[in-house]
Amino acid sequence: MVKNITIFTTNTCAYCAMVKRYLDTKSHQYEVVNLDEHPERQAEALQLSGSLTVPITVVTKEDDSKSVVVGYNLAKLVPALG
Amino acid sequence: MADKKVHDVVIVGAGPAALTAAIYTTREDIDTVLFERGVVGGLAAVTDQIDNYPGFAEGVTGLDLSEQLQKQAERFGAVIEYGEVTAIHDEGKTKRLETTSGDFHARAVLIATGSDYKKLGIPGEKEFYARGVHYCATCDGAFYRDKKLVVVGGGNSAVQETIFLTRFASHIDLLVRSTLKASDVLQHDLQKYVDAGKVTVHLGTTTDEIIGDDKNFVTKVIGTKDGKKTEFATDGVFVFVGLDPNSQFFKDTLRCDNIGFVLTDEHLQTSMPGVFAAGDIRSGATMQIASAAGEGATAALKLREYLEGRPLPVQDLV
Repeated sequence: MVKNITIFTTNTCAYCAMVKRYLDTKSHQYEVVNLDEHPERQAEALQLSGSLTVPITVVTKEDDSKSVVVGYNLAKLVPALG
Repeated sequence: MADKKVHDVVIVGAGPAALTAAIYTTREDIDTVLFERGVVGGLAAVTDQIDNYPGFAEGVTGLDLSEQLQKQAERFGAVIEYGEVTAIHDEGKTKRLETTSGDFHARAVLIATGSDYKKLGIPGEKEFYARGVHYCATCDGAFYRDKKLVVVGGGNSAVQETIFLTRFASHIDLLVRSTLKASDVLQHDLQKYVDAGKVTVHLGTTTDEIIGDDKNFVTKVIGTKDGKKTEFATDGVFVFVGLDPNSQFFKDTLRCDNIGFVLTDEHLQTSMPGVFAAGDIRSGATMQIASAAGEGATAALKLREYLEGRPLPVQDLV
């Protein structure tokens, strides 16, 4: 079971909108960290993903295990939510 | 999941050509399903600002335009499946599409898969992808606040995205292999940033190699100008050097030009009867959002003629 979902985004990122749209269609709740509004959290995004890119979606399960999905990548996002 | 229903139309892609076609077909109650493997809106969606699409006096962001096109198509009943088409088969009166969600069947198909940014194919490009090498300024530009950047390319996209990146970067070196090919309007806009010292344009400069540090982040780009190797110290590289067709799933089935763009006749029909093409993926397309939308509308009218049983024999392909 999914405990929570965090998405790192920017204002202009179309792929971020796609991730949010997909999670909306599956009725998942999520927290958004907008890096344009919170640039101080860029280092956290980089540490989680190893990449200088968004979207970064962090799926935390009930057992606190985390899956990190970089980009709009349903092949990885769907199993992470499963 | 596989769908045994025979749809009137399956549209492959969900960019401006595809969504415009879907607006037209669904308004006429033609059952229409779109397949999108990436982002709805295609390359238009990841473009910062679009100033040459009619109807927006102050311009529109690519994301807003894409969202409006999607809502408009869905308002009339278009259904977007998030998956990838991997093959197309002509089964006479219907076409069978192999997809990541199983087989789909349609009486007619519109290919509107568009194109994607071309890669440079130089050492370091693949190795440092997303660790200093990028193809989407609107996605990744925010990581380069007060940092130095290199942008590669001299066309509309390169100049448009360079201007966008000036809101983050302290300085941008724009490496142009020959001369600037961007529109006069964009070049005029760029000049303001050149005059302000934010951008330096290096004409006649090839981009040869991308170098990184021991933490696997980009530190410099090696180029050649006038036969001399030149180093550009940088924190990141954004590449906009043209477009490659998204033709992987049909390039061995439909006739294409030598680059991979699909050939069509005067009805926008491909070499497979009942399969049409519109937008950037079509050989000879002008790669403009407005013309993609126009082709989408034309294709929808031709699809309707085909579905109504009017003969549309494949003409000379161009």
